[in-house]
Amino acid sequence: MFKLNLKIAWRNLWKNKVNTFINVLGLSIGMASCILIFIFIRYQLSFDENFKNESRIYRVVTNWTTADSFFESQGTPKPLPPAMRNDFKQQLDKVAAIQGGGGIIKVKDALGKNKIKTAEDVHYVEPEFFEIFDFKWLEGNPRQSLSQPNTVVLSSDMADKFFGDWHKAVGQSINFQNKTDLKVTGIIEKMPDNSSFPLKVLISYKTYLNRALPELKAWASVSSNSECYVLLKEGISVEDVSAGIPQFINKYYEKDKISKEGHKLQPLRDIHYNANLGNFANKTTPKKELYGLAIIGVFLLLTACINFINLATAQAVSRGKEVGVRKVMGSLRKQLIFQFLTETLTITVISLLVGCVLTEAALPGMKSLFKEDISFSITEHPIILLFMILLMLVVSFLAGFYPAMIMSGYSPALAIKNKITANAGSLSLRKILVVVQFAITIILIIGTLVVLNQMNYMREKPLGFNPSAVALVDIPSDSIAITRYHTLQDRINKIPGVLSTSFCASGPSSSSNNEYNFKYNGTINATFQANTKDVDENYFKTFGLEIIAGKGLSKSDTLKDFVVNETILKKLNVVNYNDAIGKAIRLHGKMGYIVGVVKDFNNMNLHEPISPIIISSDKNSYTKIAVKLDSKSILSAMKVIESTWNSVLPEYVYGASFMDDEINQYYQTEQIMGTLFKVFAGTIIFISFIGLFGLISFVAAQRTKEVAIRKVLGASTIELVRMLNGSFLVMVFIANLVAWPLAYLFISKWLSGFTYRIDISIWPFALAMLISMTITLVTVSIRSYKAAAANTIDALKYE
Amino acid sequence: MIQLTNIEKYYANKGVKNYVLRLVTTTINQGEFVSIMGPSGAGKSTLLNIIGMLEEPTYGTYNFLGEDVTSLNERKRIELYRNHIGFVFQAYHLIDEMTVYENIEAPLLYKKVGSSERASRIADLLDRFNIVAKKDLFPNQLSGGQQQLVGIARALAAQPSIILADEPTGNLQSAQAEEIMALFKKLNQEDGITIIQVTHSEKNAQYGNRILHIADGIVKEDVAVIA
Repeated sequence: MFKLNLKIAWRNLWKNKVNTFINVLGLSIGMASCILIFIFIRYQLSFDENFKNESRIYRVVTNWTTADSFFESQGTPKPLPPAMRNDFKQQLDKVAAIQGGGGIIKVKDALGKNKIKTAEDVHYVEPEFFEIFDFKWLEGNPRQSLSQPNTVVLSSDMADKFFGDWHKAVGQSINFQNKTDLKVTGIIEKMPDNSSFPLKVLISYKTYLNRALPELKAWASVSSNSECYVLLKEGISVEDVSAGIPQFINKYYEKDKISKEGHKLQPLRDIHYNANLGNFANKTTPKKELYGLAIIGVFLLLTACINFINLATAQAVSRGKEVGVRKVMGSLRKQLIFQFLTETLTITVISLLVGCVLTEAALPGMKSLFKEDISFSITEHPIILLFMILLMLVVSFLAGFYPAMIMSGYSPALAIKNKITANAGSLSLRKILVVVQFAITIILIIGTLVVLNQMNYMREKPLGFNPSAVALVDIPSDSIAITRYHTLQDRINKIPGVLSTSFCASGPSSSSNNEYNFKYNGTINATFQANTKDVDENYFKTFGLEIIAGKGLSKSDTLKDFVVNETILKKLNVVNYNDAIGKAIRLHGKMGYIVGVVKDFNNMNLHEPISPIIISSDKNSYTKIAVKLDSKSILSAMKVIESTWNSVLPEYVYGASFMDDEINQYYQTEQIMGTLFKVFAGTIIFISFIGLFGLISFVAAQRTKEVAIRKVLGASTIELVRMLNGSFLVMVFIANLVAWPLAYLFISKWLSGFTYRIDISIWPFALAMLISMTITLVTVSIRSYKAAAANTIDALKYE
Repeated sequence: MIQLTNIEKYYANKGVKNYVLRLVTTTINQGEFVSIMGPSGAGKSTLLNIIGMLEEPTYGTYNFLGEDVTSLNERKRIELYRNHIGFVFQAYHLIDEMTVYENIEAPLLYKKVGSSERASRIADLLDRFNIVAKKDLFPNQLSGGQQQLVGIARALAAQPSIILADEPTGNLQSAQAEEIMALFKKLNQEDGITIIQVTHSEKNAQYGNRILHIADGIVKEDVAVIA
């Protein structure tokens, strides 16, 4: 029976080639989008999985609460891990510190000559770390390999890079930061891409402790690079540990401060999804985004299914006779439903196959958009196959069930006499579905317009400084390098095309920000923290910052003068900026005076408001030299800068970026979102309109007789086209009305995430209406004109 | 076999009852060949539909094989279709997407007849109606008369005890019509299959052994045909 059903289904599909084509096209695009979204979500959800103790692994994170702010960091104070190990013996099985950093690694060949000099990220790791995470060890021993100072474990890919083949690596040594020689004592397997731990060079934590830095004892300083992982004892819950934390904080932290510290345990599987806290891989994908994508996928599929339902019910009348005959031959309704579902299944299977091809074709684009290595391999991830099967069944059911119910419900007496018409009931449902479909389409059109508008706004909004043609060249900050700063600056300044240079810790707008308490005008601590920037006297000129009162910083290697921004003075209730000049500020325990006020500039991305900022000089804090270039000679000048840099600092590795690019980086998520919106809106528009085309084709065919009679009665072609188009335009108009409030809610929610945003105007709405109505008119008119212009006799002859 | 008692059928339209059938009472016995005749709109087809349980009467009782089938649930009705009733239509109503063979096979599949039994029955029917050569053709490749032959073969496949035919020759030329009527007569006489047909043609009615004349929903005459 099933085989016969399949055969009949195939013949039916072949007979209605246009409908089949529209259905397969719509469904395959919809399904391909769903598969793409699924494999992306699957990839994202696979981060940091498969550790043996997964459910017991937590990261200790730090937060600060002040009267009007809350700030979180993934780091902990450096004395915290040993203190926790001591104070939470009952609850925690293991506590391990891991310190991220970077440096220059040199590898010598057999003859003792320098073979490789490279800047790499390194991590200082306590041996306990490997008892928490069961990484795969190719050589060496998790407990012993990193138990001694000056030892290093390499990932197999890194070892291949350094020594040609990782098998040869153990026992050799590498030089780190021109100072320490580290002995390779183990090899671990290369970290997968879907890991928040891009561990390549693991140096024993004791090597780090040997440096005896003052901050090893400092509870007040937290770097996001100092993370601490714990393994709960079996049967211990997070709450058990959290209960002890207030006491722990009381014991170690200074009391009565403006900001109050707190610690939380973050589950391992939250690390990749919590955008408020970073990680070593610098990759986070909030679950919210994944849900958003999933919803878009559902929308796409729904649109395609609606096409199918509409075409199928429209076509149902012509199947009426068959239904009647089958019923009097003894077919149960159930059997008919089954038959029609088989037909849908056939279409779905074809669509799925086409969809797979489309998926494969779209994958490279998707990879480059997300910059992730996503694979569409069923053998590697059998769950994808499972998803596809599920997708196929859901689509068959969603698209096929309603038409099957309608068709199988026909009364045989009427069906046999061809007395079934596209009855009012199903027509109105069809109308509702078209409205739903177009409402979705219009929401996406409006969304796309707004997202693109906001992106444009952010690109063009004046930031309060000039980021164009400014290169940020990294500089090492150890004591040897500092002595060569002057030489470097002098030589770079002489390069043709260089307009000015400035040492600084970061550009005016930066994703790395430091907030500190300060005292203004000798009074008690201010009630808020200030964002500090360490820069030299040329900073304002290099970045085109405007001094609106007083003057800029004078030349100094240490903290002496301060320049503050407008926001900080507003927060301190200083109305006349000149009043602030000469007032004292105490920062980092040092005293200085305000010499100038700088016009407000955006110091973070445009999601955030402008912070109160204090700018001062501190030679030891510089990490970059900002070079303002003549825009015509950027390329040539950069080459000379690199060679100059290498000759002044030959032991180090050169690195540079452009201010423009850094700013663009902030909006990567939004750019991806913009692209996604464009692609998916385009797809949905396409699916909706081919559906519309199918529907108008059908309506036109059904009303051929009516059209012919009207024509005989004297109706003109234009009048007939208008008659056929009418209901479609009304439906799309209603869809607009339905879509507007929903789209408004959605975009106002999205825009509220930006401090600097466009105002919601009527234009995207009006434009979406115009676009949707125009396309509808064109799509529908093509077909209805053909119907209206057809030869009258052909239509009437058959009756 | 069929017992209709006071069958009434009307359609209410804005409070006005439009009677199609009024107080129809008749009995049709096993082995009869009944022709229902009458002018257009007399209620012939409605009566046949009620007999075929495609429509329910508004009033009255209907006994089929001694069982009250006036309002029957789907499963029971389907059971009767599968085992006792074969339909033949004016417009043949073959399923366009199925070959001749598959069309004849369809009722057997619904009746869940085993595959070898199915094959032999179909072979038998194809043979009997001389359409073996056409078995792999689709309905639109056949002439009207051939299509109706297939339609009858399909109705016979399930070995029904009664065939209901609504103007079986209405779309056919006279030569083909005669052939079909002769076939009906033969089925009635040789196989003892009860046949009820609706027809306009006095000539066709003569093939049967009883004629019900209907006008305005009322049985005006019930006459036996003298062969």
